[in-house]
Amino acid sequence: MRRLQARHYTFLGLAVVITVTMLLNIRLDTRVSPYTRALHDYIESLPPGSVLMVSFDHEASSLPEIRPIARSVLRHAFRKGHRLIGVSLLAEGTLIGYRLMQETAAEYGRQYGSDYVYLGFRPQYIAAILAMGESIRDTYPRDYLGRPYDQFELLRSVENYDDVAAVLSIADGSLTTHWMEYGQARYGVVVLGAVTAAMATTYDPYLASAQMHAMMAGLRGAAEYEKLIGIGGGGARGMLAQSSAHLYVILLIVLGNVAYFVRRREGRRD
Amino acid sequence: MARKFPLAVCFLFGVVMFLQYFSQHEAARAVNQAILDYWQIVFAFTLILGVFSFARNNVTEVRRGRDRVYRIVGLAGLLSMPVLALIWGIKADTPFMWMFENVQAPMQSTVFALLAIFVASASFRGFRARSLPAAVLLISATVMLLSRSNIGGFFSDVLPDVANWIRDYPSMAARRAILIGIGLGSLTTSLRVMVGIERTWLGGEK
Amino acid sequence: MVPLAATGWFDTDSLPTLVTSIISIIIVLYVTYALRKREFKVRRIAGLAAVDDAVGRATEMARPVLYTPGWGGDIQRPTTIASLNILSHVADKTAVYDCRLVFPTHDPVIMAVAQEVVHESYMKAGYPDRYRPADIAYVSSSQFGYAAAVDGLLTRLKPASVFLLGTFEAESLILAETGNSINAIQVAGTDSTIQLSFFIVACDYTLIGEEVFAASGYLSGNKSILASIRAQDIMKVLIAAFILVAVVWVSVENLTGSTPDNWWVF
Repeated sequence: MRRLQARHYTFLGLAVVITVTMLLNIRLDTRVSPYTRALHDYIESLPPGSVLMVSFDHEASSLPEIRPIARSVLRHAFRKGHRLIGVSLLAEGTLIGYRLMQETAAEYGRQYGSDYVYLGFRPQYIAAILAMGESIRDTYPRDYLGRPYDQFELLRSVENYDDVAAVLSIADGSLTTHWMEYGQARYGVVVLGAVTAAMATTYDPYLASAQMHAMMAGLRGAAEYEKLIGIGGGGARGMLAQSSAHLYVILLIVLGNVAYFVRRREGRRD
Repeated sequence: MARKFPLAVCFLFGVVMFLQYFSQHEAARAVNQAILDYWQIVFAFTLILGVFSFARNNVTEVRRGRDRVYRIVGLAGLLSMPVLALIWGIKADTPFMWMFENVQAPMQSTVFALLAIFVASASFRGFRARSLPAAVLLISATVMLLSRSNIGGFFSDVLPDVANWIRDYPSMAARRAILIGIGLGSLTTSLRVMVGIERTWLGGEK
Repeated sequence: MVPLAATGWFDTDSLPTLVTSIISIIIVLYVTYALRKREFKVRRIAGLAAVDDAVGRATEMARPVLYTPGWGGDIQRPTTIASLNILSHVADKTAVYDCRLVFPTHDPVIMAVAQEVVHESYMKAGYPDRYRPADIAYVSSSQFGYAAAVDGLLTRLKPASVFLLGTFEAESLILAETGNSINAIQVAGTDSTIQLSFFIVACDYTLIGEEVFAASGYLSGNKSILASIRAQDIMKVLIAAFILVAVVWVSVENLTGSTPDNWWVF
């Protein structure tokens, strides 16, 4: 068997930290950031019945982080009585989005067709975003389950982005950028983001320039949103594991620096 | 001619797409819509190219006996998903979606999870206070990590404000500068392609 | 918002964008054509200067070079075009040194163009027989399927040099750290600002944003391309001046308490 190297021990340490803290199931209190509050307040400010387009722009890989993010904001929108149109610009997000909308709508007794509709996936995201600006009906002649667009009460009054209050892009990558560059810049639609933590700073300049209206990010964002709407979920549950992993990484940074300075001092002595 | 024709097509479509952006006339919207439709059709055909190349390379390697197990698993995946989709469809509660949810999604999450592990090893190795800028980077990273953790007290009450300041000012300023550079780089590269100065995308300079 | 039944030929809302675009295009094209015969000195970009050494190292160690343009881009993205320009230069070297070049990608169109680019380089170098089209391969369109495939190639082939140039997303650190674990010399470059931090930590050389676009002029020495980089710099100075004027304007407005004009917002 090969000898384990330093990096293998760091991997093992991280696995132990996350496994133990996930098993503990302790929920930590979270202070709400102004970013998350802005998204919450925007959705809260819309009159009940407003049409929101929710775009599931993520792959299956980021599901553990995306699910609590999506669930918290979908719960808020359904509870508030908004009507949702679901789409997906990445093939892998399609079924995940459908399931998330279906499950969350069921919690609030919302009906498919009048309260929400799921249109599914269209390839070539830039082309799809631009095409929906012209006509959502032409881009999606049928819903995810293959039924005609005009069959649904909710969709009959929706032609393009002019009839949509905002687009919420739930993303684990840079797809939200395309919503801003094409949907917002070309058609003036309000873009909201619910993204993974790693992508948060990518969108900061867009948020500051108001090209993106509001954004929540990561497991922490989900925990904050859950606190704002008063419903517990995966965000709050995952915060202990995330916090512990962060502390573990800080410990590694400290250890790495101690080793570096000790070695440097020894080198000088020699 | 073999080079001039694609260059002319590239220039023409570049100009058309640029001009239609500034028009709301029905004709302009129709041109835009038609190009977007064809774009999606062309994309579908390119997938066939990818699948064919993938299958051919893997079959060749299986014959040669190189990495045979990996290649066979790859080919099995390539064949099984379309077959399941063709027989039972791709909607919810079909065998295709069962495979997607119970095989593909967990495998992808596993690879994504490697990111956390590599962040740990990269932090251990890379974040060293070798110089003043490196020390500033290290301190900022530590503040950011602590602010995203729920430790309570000072770390949860004061540090998030410091972290938000770092995010909103120094980090944002640097990011914007890089974005402006990227935007200008994209503009000049696009123009070079449109006017035919840059021809690598055609295979070369000929 | 755009009116549903718009009929006008020109959308007046987009006038500022049109004016800015036309000014930018005129500056870039004018400078590019006016200065295309002049000699320019481009500042040394360490990552690009290391390209030759990286290929040389792989040749000496009798190990391949791995080049990948990332999962985030497609062929219409300028970054991908810029990456293919660098690929062309790398392929020139691998052809001469008879070093194996492996290019996994997530996009069939990028694969087809890269095959053309590499083939052309091998032809130009006079070694068409050394070109292996199977090494320029499509692996998967899925982000982590692609990451797993490239990781697999890295661990099995153990390339001596790795080029990560293009648009990367979350796969960036996975690839860079795996490359690091096999002791490959790594040259990275991307327009994804968030991934730059990962590359800086894990790679030997990192091209930051616009340096990727400057690469083709830097490597090829093509005077027209170098002139367009000069045009890019002129635009940068103009934008900086615009920002400065706007900052002074708004500061004066704030100090004097006058009504905000916001003429610079569009």
